[in-house]
Order: sequence, then C-alpha cells, then structure tokens
Amino acid sequence: MTRRWWHGPWRVPALAGALILAAVLVAQVPRASTASDLLMVAAAVVAGTGIARAAVRALAARSSSIDLLVTIAATGAVVIGEYWEAAAVTFLFAVGHALEVRTLGKTRSALAALVASAPDVAVVVREGQQVEVPAAEVAVGERVLVKNGAKVPVDGVVVGGTGALDEASITGESIPAEKSAGDRVFAGTVSRGGFLEVETRGVGADTTLARIIHRVEEAQDAKAPTQLFMDRFARWYTPGIVLVALAVGLLTRDVVLALTLLVIACPGALVISIPVSVVAGIGRAARDGVLVKGGEHLETTARIDAVALDKTGTLTEGRPELTDVVVLAPGASRADVLGWAARAEAGSEHPLARPVLEGAAAEGLASPDLPEVVEPVPGKGIHAVTGGRRVLVGNAALLAEHGVEAGGADEAAERLAAAGRTPMLVALDREVLGVIAVADRVRPTARTLVDALHAAGVREVVMLTGDAPRVASAIGSEVGIDTVHAGLLPEDKLTAVRALQSRGRTVAMVGDGVNDAPALATADVGVAMAAAGSAVAVETADVALMSDDLLRLPHAITLARRTVRVMRQNIVIALLTVAALLAGVFAGGVTMAVGMLVHEASILVVIGNAMRLLRTRPPAPRAQVETGQPHALRRVETGV
Amino acid sequence: MTTPTPAPVRTVLRAEGFACPSCVTKIEKQVGRLDGVDAVRVHFASQRIEVDHDPARADAEALVAAVAKAGYTARPAAF
Repeated sequence: MTRRWWHGPWRVPALAGALILAAVLVAQVPRASTASDLLMVAAAVVAGTGIARAAVRALAARSSSIDLLVTIAATGAVVIGEYWEAAAVTFLFAVGHALEVRTLGKTRSALAALVASAPDVAVVVREGQQVEVPAAEVAVGERVLVKNGAKVPVDGVVVGGTGALDEASITGESIPAEKSAGDRVFAGTVSRGGFLEVETRGVGADTTLARIIHRVEEAQDAKAPTQLFMDRFARWYTPGIVLVALAVGLLTRDVVLALTLLVIACPGALVISIPVSVVAGIGRAARDGVLVKGGEHLETTARIDAVALDKTGTLTEGRPELTDVVVLAPGASRADVLGWAARAEAGSEHPLARPVLEGAAAEGLASPDLPEVVEPVPGKGIHAVTGGRRVLVGNAALLAEHGVEAGGADEAAERLAAAGRTPMLVALDREVLGVIAVADRVRPTARTLVDALHAAGVREVVMLTGDAPRVASAIGSEVGIDTVHAGLLPEDKLTAVRALQSRGRTVAMVGDGVNDAPALATADVGVAMAAAGSAVAVETADVALMSDDLLRLPHAITLARRTVRVMRQNIVIALLTVAALLAGVFAGGVTMAVGMLVHEASILVVIGNAMRLLRTRPPAPRAQVETGQPHALRRVETGV
Repeated sequence: MTTPTPAPVRTVLRAEGFACPSCVTKIEKQVGRLDGVDAVRVHFASQRIEVDHDPARADAEALVAAVAKAGYTARPAAF
C-alpha cells in the first residue's frame, strides 16, 4: 500500500510539501535563513522538475502549455530571490494536477466501469486441450469455455452446457439470464453458475461490448463548436500571455508583477471547462440509456423547441385492434355481431380482418370454418356466405350494393369515426346486426410523453402521419399534440420539418428510419429508437434511445440543457477568477502563491461543477410497455 | 522475389492521466516521429491513442515507449 502511494501522483507534492514545511520550521531558528532558503529552493526543484519537463516536451511539439507559464514564473521567482513564491507556486500546481487527474477520472467513471468489464483472457479448446489465451486472440469459430464466475471473453452462440449469465453490462438487467444451446452470449458478461461451451462469433473490437463503449467514447470525443473555439483561443492565449507579461515587466520594471501576471493568467480552468462538461453530460446520458453522438448534438438538443413524432408505432401501438362492438338489431347479442363478422373474415389476409379475428378469439367466438363464398370488395368491405347465411362486413356503400338498409347504423358508424376509429357495419342476410370498429390503440404512455416534452421546454409537439385526418386529430387531442399534420406521404414529412424550421424552430424528429430517413436527416436533431428502429437509423441518428422507452427523450432534452448550462457556468467561473485575481494584483494583496492557489481551486470548482451532472436523482417513472395481454373491449360512449 | 509491403496495422492504446488538453499535441508529435508510423490520433476525453503503423518497423512496445517519452503511461488494448 505504501509502495503504490510512493509511485503514485502524490509522491512529488508530498515530498515538496515536506520540504516547504521543513523550510518554514528551520526559518524559526536564528541565523538559519540560508538553510531555510535552500530548503525552499529544494522544494521548488522537486515540484518544478516535472512541470519543467512537461513544458519542454510541449515546446518540442511546438505547442505552448500552462506548464511553460508556471516554469517561467517559478524560475523567475528563484532568480529574484522569492524562494517561498517559487516553492508555493510549484507545490500548489503539482497538488492541483494530482487532484485534477483524480477528479477527471471520477467524471470519466460512467464509462470506466464498462471498459473494466472487458475480458482479458479466454479458455479456448485447441486440439483437445484447454488453452488460456488473451481474449483478443481467439479466432472466430473456435470453441471457448466459460466456467462458473468467469467473464465471457467473446460474442458467440452456446453449443453446449447451460449456465446463468449476469448481462448487466450489456442489457442493464441485473437478473441473471439462463443460457443454453442456441442462445447468444456477449463478451463482458459474467457467469453466475454453470458451464458453457461457446462458438465464437465476434472478438475484441467486434463485440457488442466494444461497440457500445466505442459509440459512447466517440461521442465524448466529438468536439462541440464551443470547444473548437476554445481550442483555437487557448493556442493563441498562452504565448500571448507570455508576451503581455514581458511587456508589463519591461514597462513597469516590476518583475514580481510580471511573474504574478503569468501565474494568474493561466487558462487551466478555461481550457478544461468544456471537455469535462461534455464528458460528464454524455457519460450521464449514456448511463441513462440515451446516446448523444457528440458535444455538438448536445448543444443542439439543448436548443430544441419542437419535436416531430410519427403517429403509428410511436404514439400508437402500431397494430389495429378491435375497439368497439355495437349491437343494433333487436334480439341480437354482442356475440352475434362479432361472431358473424369473424366468420366472414375468417381466412382473410386484410389488415382490418386480423383485429376482428383476434377480438373474436379473445371472446371465445373463433370459428375454424372458412366461409363457402368470399368476395372482398376493395374500398368497401367483404361479402361472404358462410353456414348458408350471407354476411356483409364493410361500409354503407357495400350494404347498399347488396340491398341492405343501413338505417341507424350510419349514425353509430359516424360517431365511431369521429372518435378516430375505423367502423365496419355487419349485416346478416337482409338485416344490419351492428357495427364493429377497429383502431390503432394509443400507447398508454403517449400522453405522459407529450406532457413531459412540454415540461422539458418543448413549445410545439407535432404529429406527422400518413393516416386520415380524422383519426389523426382524434388521437392528437387525446394525447395533447399541438400540431397535427395528417395524410402525409413520406416526402411530405421532410417538407413539414422544413416548414417548422423556417418558422424558427429547432426541430427534433423521432423516427424509425425506414420511411422517414430524409426527414430525420433534415431535422436539427434526428432521434432513433434502438429497439424499434433500423440499424442504419440508429447509426446515423444524432441521438439514439437505447431502450424502448420514449420517456427518455424529454429526460435527454433536460439533461442536454443542464449540460450546456454547466458549460456556460464553467466558462464564467474561469473568466471571473482571472478577472478577480487581476483586480487583486493591482489592488495589492495577491501574490504568486495566492494566485496559484486560487487558480487551482477554480479548476477543481469547474470539474466539480461538471460532476454534478453525474449525480443520480430518483429515477423518472419508466414507461411500462404492455405485452400481449387480452384486450378489454371498450364500450362505445354513445348511449346506444 | 518481391516482399509485399505489409498493410498498416491500427493499434489502440489506452492511457491515463490526461488532465490538460495540451497532452494531445505532445503525444501526437512524439509518436508521429517514429519510423513506421503513418498516422496517430489522440482523443482527450476517452484517453485513447489510435496509431496506424507498420508493426515491423514500429511495434506496440515502441509506441508505448514513445508515449512514455511524452510523459504518459499507456497500454495496448483490444479496442
């Protein structure tokens, strides 16, 4: 333990600190001032050598660095006899650097745990022998053994044995998953029991774990426009400071002032302010299941004030379901209406047939017999003869064609259509039995989503759909949408996005990338859902929601806003510190030592400010995605 | 008989202690000077160093040594 500490980043500051302490103590002894001075200089040398080396390396790479400023200041201080200043400046800089590395490490921790879960070794079966090799050296197709407690070293398929794997690093699920022959396994997951023989499919960089890590790291490395500006600024700033200090020194003949200026103007906090915020922001988002592809996208996401959503599949479940059964004929029952409709539709591949059949099956009314005669009439419905009876399922026009009076069914159908459903009249022989209706059900969380988006600062939530306007508006008002664009062809979605942008909105579009790729690309922020979207959409989107949970989107917007706020706060903190120190120098009282102390403190404040982004508050309510339970049929609120 | 020129290999090194963005230029220059190195990119946020090099003239150990000369510890990683 002591050994590690000795070789760690704290060795130099500790040594220098001890020497300074010794110097101060020795100074108490009368006529030992030279000894005290020597100890101070020794402290400065101990702490300053590393800094000077770094400065020289930077110069060799033809770039100036803060190390250079500190080296010049410290050397200058020694030359003019200010030994305490020299020692204090180098000591504080060394301490600050060690603290910086530690706290930056904590900010990077969101990803570090994932990287640490990467496997090192693999047990491969070669020529009948078990051989231990580095995980990256396994060849695709080789058999790998995963024993109890070991890390799975490769992506692959189980070919033998059974086991339970903790897949938290990949899926976030903490409950171990049972694996047996034919199941996929992922590198980085840990065996919690059992013995597996795996055929390798992916190794090293070609594993799911590596791809997840790579995507987040790429995002953290991608520079925001503000950061690029900062980089350019810093490149000119540092040599500029040296020149200014030189000028001031020559003009005022006050060397101490010049050296103090060098220390104060160190842009340490300024230079780290954006990168640390981006790393923290993207890291936190990734931990919450949202991949923001870079600092630039972080900044744009923070500015979003309009979100365009697809209706089908995003706000609705994506498959039509039976919603209503209205009985109209006196003496008929619900089972009659639904049963005959199902018998007519039996065997039909029409998209509207399936919900009817499923609804009937749910009520135990499914019939195995196919109708004797089936005549689908495009645009109108279906005409069938089954069990000797003639059944019609469709609109009023179909009924009229076959001489059946619609009667009061029209009204019922109208009411259902106004509620956003697709009604179908059901007639048996010459009598109208009733009306059934199907609709694409609204997701239970759609309303929550729209409300959350509004709460996150989105002014306009827009629905884009190719569906009929009536259906769209009905759903839109149920869910709280601000603007509905219905009846859109795929290319119209692009136009709709552009129209929003021309009104000054910063637009985010959520899509699956299959038929809305151009619109996704035109939007300021393209959002794809990893579970529902195509792989290409997820790769090219600016923001990818890694789970099926759309509620992550308002969370992502809020997080982006917080991150941009932190970026701005950090820049202000950095600039204010320099300004305050400058004022302090000219007002008197700010020495080199004080300047360096405040400078280092400001860096830690900036990093700490960014680390606030990593703090977890109680998780937001997660969307519960309903899974295939029998659907309760809604009763029509029409008073029929 | 002509020996075919080997295709450049991409090695990823993971480093530690990146506290100031000035380290990027230092490392890029130091590694870039090596004979056999075609390209080097240093990523500050993720502390990764990506090097395209000819392993016959500059192997992974040489790369690690070059990074050490710039003042940082690095290890080759699978990704």
